[in-house]
Amino acid sequence: MIKVKTHRFIASAGVAVIVATAFLQTTSVSAREPFTQAELAQQYAELQKMVKMGDDLWHSGKLGTNGLACGNCHPDGAASNAHTYPKWQAQLGAVSPLRDMINWCIEVPLAGKALAPSSKEMQAMEAYATYMHRGFTLMPGEATMQHPSVAVKAGPGYP
Amino acid sequence: MTNEIPEKQLSRRDFLSFTAKLGAASLVATAVSPVVGLVNVAQAAPGSKVTPFNFAIISDAHLYDIPGHKFDGILEKAVEDVNKMRPAPDFVFFLGDLGQTGKRSELEKGKRILSKLKMPLKIIPGEHDWYLDMGAAWQDMFGTAHWSFDHKGVHFAAMNSILVRDFWTVKKLSPVERMGYMEELEGHEAGLWGVREQQLDWLEKDVNKLASNMPVVVLTHSPLWDYYPRWNFQTEDAPQIRAILSKFDKVMSFHGHVHQVVYNKIGNMSSLGSLATSWPWPYPPVQLPFPDAKMNRSDPANFLDGLGTQVVDLNAEFAGGLKYEPFADLMPPAIKNGIKL
Repeated sequence: MIKVKTHRFIASAGVAVIVATAFLQTTSVSAREPFTQAELAQQYAELQKMVKMGDDLWHSGKLGTNGLACGNCHPDGAASNAHTYPKWQAQLGAVSPLRDMINWCIEVPLAGKALAPSSKEMQAMEAYATYMHRGFTLMPGEATMQHPSVAVKAGPGYP
Repeated sequence: MTNEIPEKQLSRRDFLSFTAKLGAASLVATAVSPVVGLVNVAQAAPGSKVTPFNFAIISDAHLYDIPGHKFDGILEKAVEDVNKMRPAPDFVFFLGDLGQTGKRSELEKGKRILSKLKMPLKIIPGEHDWYLDMGAAWQDMFGTAHWSFDHKGVHFAAMNSILVRDFWTVKKLSPVERMGYMEELEGHEAGLWGVREQQLDWLEKDVNKLASNMPVVVLTHSPLWDYYPRWNFQTEDAPQIRAILSKFDKVMSFHGHVHQVVYNKIGNMSSLGSLATSWPWPYPPVQLPFPDAKMNRSDPANFLDGLGTQVVDLNAEFAGGLKYEPFADLMPPAIKNGIKL
């Protein structure tokens, strides 16, 4: 907040002060204003778009070749255990992020082609699975339990 | 495989421990016999109501119209396993979702596989069988979706529990789109299922003249209690069904749809879910009424894990047990030898 006020004051000040301000700006850190409500709403809407895209992919047979979708076994993202990654994934023989397990499921049970890890599709899938575990305690490495997703009363489970 | 009669029955101590956990209501009904699960029940006691017998349950095959699909082989395995059961079941119930997208070709494939059963098949539909053509193909192939019969002193009644209110007309959905909404477990657009007025009336008439000590078994696709309505792990008019059946001393309810081990007891009715032959479903985010009746987490790398068949043994006192017969080791010790009924 101090930075904001300083900035506004400087904007109406004289040349000497501007010189001083230039010095201030190059030496200070983190001068960005807090997000406004409108900006936050916009960011949230962008996230929800990704979650929705992930939901559609999650329930689409198009990722595989045998008709199955992620949602067959993981309704509402349940048992995807998004909050337990990264962890040792026995099928992969490596410490893996969620996206690697999603790709394993696409390739093996769905008999499909893995998504590029940085693709928008994969980011959307991760967004959906993670959003359906919002509020869960992060438990990286947890590999013994099957976790449900958030309890959903109505609608798609988000926002 | 696990179809042989277990040589070593559950010890009395193990059994009582589990029964105690299942609660007092269950204890009253089951404390008589120390045996549980798939057992060759002794001859009927003189003057008893039931001639002991057993029957098998297969459920939720979700066959796709894709040649050589992996689910075909799993249903075939279930059929082979049931055919090998000893003593041989008197008949087999299939509790719905033979197909996945409601196509006639899926149902025909399922019927072909199920025709290899050596014992009679009794079948009801699930939502996946129904909403492409509103049950036309299913009824054409299998007859009415609700039925009843008596067998060796037990009355069996089955209903179609997947009827939803019309959500498609207003949305102007095509049959394929309507089926798509129903295919998704958390398909929140379609709403809750039930058996509805017509079948409630039928059930009322069906059991009207039966004496209260008549053993009754009821079969539906969805559970007859509120488990997790979000996934239609419920039947909207289950309270009315339970009310109609409340006059009986003892009622057993077996259902599909949940693809998992789950047990409940409400009033005079005990209720058990069935393993699928397609995929297992995770437990929903609610407290289980009887947490010991729960299967282990399945291994996704073993596509037979989490799946299987089940067999119900009934003895002369209309007690007995349901034994889950998983394709891979799935049952914790408390229910390995079955669940007492």
